[in-house]
Amino acid sequence: MSSRIVVALRIAAPPEVVFDAFVDDIALWWRPNALFSFTPRSPGVMAFEDGRLVERLPSGKVFEVGVVSVWERGARLVFGWRQATFTPDMNTEVEVRFEAMGQETRVTVEHRGWDSVPAPHVARHRSPNTVFLARHGEWWRNLLAGLAARASSVHLGAGEEGLS
Amino acid sequence: MSNPAGLISAVTYRDPKAALAWLEAAFGFELVFLIEGEDVSVAHAEMSHGASRVMIGGEWSPAHASPASMGGKTTQTIHVYIEGDVDAHCQTAAAAGAEIVEPPTTQFYGARTYRCRDLEGHLWTVSADVETVSVEEMEKRSGLKITVAKT
Repeated sequence: MSSRIVVALRIAAPPEVVFDAFVDDIALWWRPNALFSFTPRSPGVMAFEDGRLVERLPSGKVFEVGVVSVWERGARLVFGWRQATFTPDMNTEVEVRFEAMGQETRVTVEHRGWDSVPAPHVARHRSPNTVFLARHGEWWRNLLAGLAARASSVHLGAGEEGLS
Repeated sequence: MSNPAGLISAVTYRDPKAALAWLEAAFGFELVFLIEGEDVSVAHAEMSHGASRVMIGGEWSPAHASPASMGGKTTQTIHVYIEGDVDAHCQTAAAAGAEIVEPPTTQFYGARTYRCRDLEGHLWTVSADVETVSVEEMEKRSGLKITVAKT
């Protein structure tokens, strides 16, 4: 699939810990980006619930970002990704892979399907395709840095409990 | 994400996608960032090795050329420092198709190194420290006058 972003990062924690941090603690590590808001009323609080990724908005409304299609704890997570301005035929998809690399986990995010969002669409901010994708990719790097901080801290906390 | 002050090399290939796969197989580099355009071309790619990164790109302007387009000439070479076994690294690279230009050799300055050409002719030197050698000893072994800046 063309027009895609791939971002990867090694995190100092086992795959299950990183996976759990990704889905259970997303409200803690998520870093909203005003350029890529899901709705005009964002940011809200992100959560995986009822088989969906949602953003709970300050108004009390819940915006569905996408449905989870694959949930393999410690290995793979796939979910849809839509902004409120997308028309029904615009869909992007995020696949997150968790691979054990020694004591670490390599987390790879692949965000694909951006060809379904045409160039003039407001979500692209009048940027050429690759510039838009690069900016979005930088945001994913920032998000993974947040995830890394959260997962590492959970892992260290669990280690301390094990010592007591 | 902001970048701290530092250096990063951008290496040009005719087929950057093939280079990404080759560099992972031969050197164990890991893909950390890839932007692929609507024509499935590589718009931007970065790989990591230890704390370092390298950018992999195509011949995107008349000034950017792979050695494969320049009769094998290169204008820079890249040194890769590893913490493991240089000989084993060389075997892995050779198995992935690297042309070994200079086999693993222990240098007077205490590093074991080998040099190879990649799939499009870029020259890479792989090095690991195997011995701590004083400056005096390096001068004695090499006959060179060595000046080391005091930091």
